[in-house]
Amino acid sequence: MMGGKTDRKLIVNGKRLDGRGLDDMRPLTIEAHVLNKADGSAYVEWGKNKVLAAVYGPRECVPRHDSDPYRAVVRCRYSMAPFCSLEEHGRAGPNRRAIELSKVIREAFQNVVITELFPKTAIDIFIEILQSDGGTRCAGLVAASVALADAGIPMRDLVSAISVGKADGQIVVDLFKDEDNFGESDVPIAFAHRNNDILLFQMDGKLTKDEVKTALEKAKNAAVKIHALQVEALKKVYERQAQQNVQ
Amino acid sequence: MADIIVPGETVAKAGGRPVGNTYREGDSMRSAVVGLYKEGDDRIIPLQGPYLPAIGDFVIGVVQDVRFTSYTMNINSPYNGSLSSKATRDELKLGDIISAVVAAIDESKNITLEEPRRLIGGEIVSISSVKVPRVIGKKNSMVNMIIDSTKSEVQVGRNGRIWIKGGNSALAAMAILKIETEAHTSGLTDRINAFLKAEMEKNNKV
Repeated sequence: MMGGKTDRKLIVNGKRLDGRGLDDMRPLTIEAHVLNKADGSAYVEWGKNKVLAAVYGPRECVPRHDSDPYRAVVRCRYSMAPFCSLEEHGRAGPNRRAIELSKVIREAFQNVVITELFPKTAIDIFIEILQSDGGTRCAGLVAASVALADAGIPMRDLVSAISVGKADGQIVVDLFKDEDNFGESDVPIAFAHRNNDILLFQMDGKLTKDEVKTALEKAKNAAVKIHALQVEALKKVYERQAQQNVQ
Repeated sequence: MADIIVPGETVAKAGGRPVGNTYREGDSMRSAVVGLYKEGDDRIIPLQGPYLPAIGDFVIGVVQDVRFTSYTMNINSPYNGSLSSKATRDELKLGDIISAVVAAIDESKNITLEEPRRLIGGEIVSISSVKVPRVIGKKNSMVNMIIDSTKSEVQVGRNGRIWIKGGNSALAAMAILKIETEAHTSGLTDRINAFLKAEMEKNNKV
């Protein structure tokens, strides 16, 4: 959310408030296959963000009139826990913001999941934000993408997402809460790794055309790193199992 | 040893030999799933995934709905199977466990089952359907090995449901679950053989 006012400088001597350089991401750890009952799941810790994603399906679409005779429908619920941030979030459950994010995340995945293989069914994605510190929709996308792959649902690509933006007049990568609130712009972007297709692009605040170009380049570089971590998390599930067998 | 690959990874040039569980885009074939692939294989072996019925599949289902002329069967798949009541002389009840064969699938994924057999007693072990070929083994080698050492009756459904009755059924179930978690490793038959022998010896001592 933009529009906050502060006298504090967001960038001091080329370092950001949490000590990062302009292009540095917060530490990101991804673990796949964390839930037993879900078909696929993932847990992501990205800086102070903590996000759990679960995928169910393809399964029978209820209510039936939502189903499509030619492809699976992808449904998504993004939800922020009432205790996930310092501010009061009021009552749990969907609000205007959560409904919007559910929609944009759903649409990002509709473009990568090969839905034609499962007509009449539904694929459900649940994203729970347990702790938030800016950039949770990107963390949610990263987690849900790993969860979908973990569920074995055929998809064209993994989705990597990152927010870029402007704070104190400089383009920064992976904004945390203060930069998001007191900075000048926040642009979450999701990419398909194989061809850098943009699956989600939102902008809060203002950027010039050139700034958008720089931001996009920086986001692409960061997305490559995120993708590598996603792949590693997926492979680790099976290496973990192989190791347990040796013991 | 095959490599683990992820969705979006290029596996071959388009126009070459088709590879299963991939999709084609431009001049390359890319993986659609997390799976095992070795160059030259004809398909990617998925490590997870839903069960999609194919004609001729032997499946184990649960009666989910009794209707006037047919039964709706849960076959552990996104789509339910339907079994005509003409196909069986028994009157099936809700919750009955049935083995059947997939007879037909139409374009809107209506699945017709035939050759129903009621499975009475015993227990069911559920595993991921993509691991079923490993439980069966080459020419049934794995499942025969389990049957030989546990003296259980074992029916392996392609949909990931395995019915076990009699003999040392607990050991048979343990072996099957072990196969499921180790399905993607090599030398599995030997390891399961050793596991069965060791467990049998333990039992004999007691």
